[in-house]
Amino acid sequence: MKVLIIEDEVELLRSIQDFLEREHFLVESADNYEQGMDKILNYPYDIVLLDIMLPGGNGLDLLRLLKQKNVNQSVLILSAKDSVDDKVLGLEIGADDYLAKPFHFAELLARIKSIVRRNTQHGDTIIQYQNVSLDMDNRIVKVDGQELQLNRKEFDVLYYFLLRPNKLLEKTTLAETVWGDHADQADNLDFIYSQIKNLRKKLKDAKAKLDIQAVYGVGYKLV
Amino acid sequence: MAVSVKYYTNRFIVITILIVMAVWALLFYAILMDEVYDNIDDGLKNQKIEIIREAYNSPEILENTKEFGINQFRILPVEHAAEDLDKNRFSKEFIYMPYDDEDEPYRVLRTGFYSKEGKPYSLEIRTSTVEEDDYLINLAISLAVLYVVIILSILLVNHLVLSRAWKPFRQTLDNLSRYRFGDTSSFETVPTKVKEFEELNKEVKHMIDRNEAVFEAQKRFLENASHELQTPLAITINKLELLMDDATLTESQLVQLSEAKGALHRMVGLNRSLLMLSRIDNNQYVASDLVDFSTVIKSLVDDLEDIASFKEVKFVVQEELKEFHVNFNRDLAHILLSNLLRNAIKYNIPGGDVLVTIREHEIEIANDSDSGALNPDYIFERFYKGSQDNHSNGLGLSIVRSILERQHQIKLHYRYESGKHCFVLEKVS
Repeated sequence: MKVLIIEDEVELLRSIQDFLEREHFLVESADNYEQGMDKILNYPYDIVLLDIMLPGGNGLDLLRLLKQKNVNQSVLILSAKDSVDDKVLGLEIGADDYLAKPFHFAELLARIKSIVRRNTQHGDTIIQYQNVSLDMDNRIVKVDGQELQLNRKEFDVLYYFLLRPNKLLEKTTLAETVWGDHADQADNLDFIYSQIKNLRKKLKDAKAKLDIQAVYGVGYKLV
Repeated sequence: MAVSVKYYTNRFIVITILIVMAVWALLFYAILMDEVYDNIDDGLKNQKIEIIREAYNSPEILENTKEFGINQFRILPVEHAAEDLDKNRFSKEFIYMPYDDEDEPYRVLRTGFYSKEGKPYSLEIRTSTVEEDDYLINLAISLAVLYVVIILSILLVNHLVLSRAWKPFRQTLDNLSRYRFGDTSSFETVPTKVKEFEELNKEVKHMIDRNEAVFEAQKRFLENASHELQTPLAITINKLELLMDDATLTESQLVQLSEAKGALHRMVGLNRSLLMLSRIDNNQYVASDLVDFSTVIKSLVDDLEDIASFKEVKFVVQEELKEFHVNFNRDLAHILLSNLLRNAIKYNIPGGDVLVTIREHEIEIANDSDSGALNPDYIFERFYKGSQDNHSNGLGLSIVRSILERQHQIKLHYRYESGKHCFVLEKVS
């Protein structure tokens, strides 16, 4: 999958690029308006990650330009500004989603996948790992073809694990991505433990060949 | 003690006029008396000349006027004539007057002359003069009346004119008391013809504009500072995340990295809350429509259920009415209720309840607590933290306050009742 990152903070750009390459994306980058415009108009990408505040121009203008040229391009806005107006405006102009900095990579990945899945044919609607398959569009989890009943939160948790099997998923990341901003004020994140316990039990009962392991109290890992 | 400017000036006017009139009365009296005596003395001197002339022409009067009669003079022969026999000597004497039945003041001229034969005679001429004490009393009375009349008329004029003149001042004061910080339109200048008040108006307006500008700059600073922090925070967090993907890390390294990241996330949370505050204060949430608070509460309760049950806190939602519609900004309604509900979980006790009651005109969010009543004067302050609380950033309730300050649909009351903190959102009708 081809991704273009338009972001003026070089360090952030490199981090995102690093991460996405590890996730086997083909990444190109631009760190200013001109360069971004040049690439965006000349090559097709599966998704463009667009920063709003750019040297040489506004990311939203770039988005407008894209839509004017009738280029059907998936765009995820990344913004440090996180203002309501920008968000509404960005989505109105035609961005697919909006992610406020700072964000978790797991969340970035989930958003990218869901946009690509919605907008292109070759997006994976079904994630398969071992004998477990997860259908994002219909929100169905199957183990060996047998449907497994999960509640909304459990489904989301499993989805995040399946996006990056064998990788550490921190408790904070899970809390913020699945439980939203309600979690950041919770006294501690141990409530996740009971949720994971329930999920593990359900997976085990369904004889799934995968398990969720705790990693030193920092987070969990799907194996 | 401060007195109104009217009475303040009146005090000085009363005293000053009293002193001025007293001094004036003394001078006036002295000058007038001097003039009166001068006139009388001139008359006496004139009489003297006529009497002496008469004595030359008809010497028999020298014998007939040894006593004061109707002529009011007497001529007496003198044994030993002094050198200055014909010198005029004036004096004031009290002589009995039958008309008044008492001694009255007389002006007396004592002098002397030589008759045709060269014999010395003394001459005394007298005339009734003003009754000085009566005169003084009359003068004092009339001056007192004049004083009172002048003072009264000044007070009256002062009262009428000053009341009128100070009217714009009082209105300016009134407007100032109505003025609310952050709302420039709440102060209006008062049109006035008095130069000083015009200047006052101008200066007050300037001061308000300057303060508003500083306030505005401060708000912008907060917003910009928060924005500028987002990017370095994002870079640090994401770099740590990349680092933590490294499978060769030891447990202690991983835990340390995770703790560092946790601290950064707290900073992100704080930063977001500050941004939220400044956004609310900068009126960035303007659009409003009819929001059903009870729907928002139900979806929030659903979201918060997991956290609550972990803390062994139970949600109890009592709906006396199914709907609670308020004309409100949707995002703000969400933030408002979410902050209140989250607090109700956070400051609860294990096994406690969060009791949400939706009535026709109010929503009550009550939670069990063992902390005792909170002081409503402080809990809405920024960074105010309760005693048992180390995970909060102290901004939750000040965000609530900021949200409520900018609308007139809902009021928030706090009370502590039988071990429960109750926050009541009341519809303003």
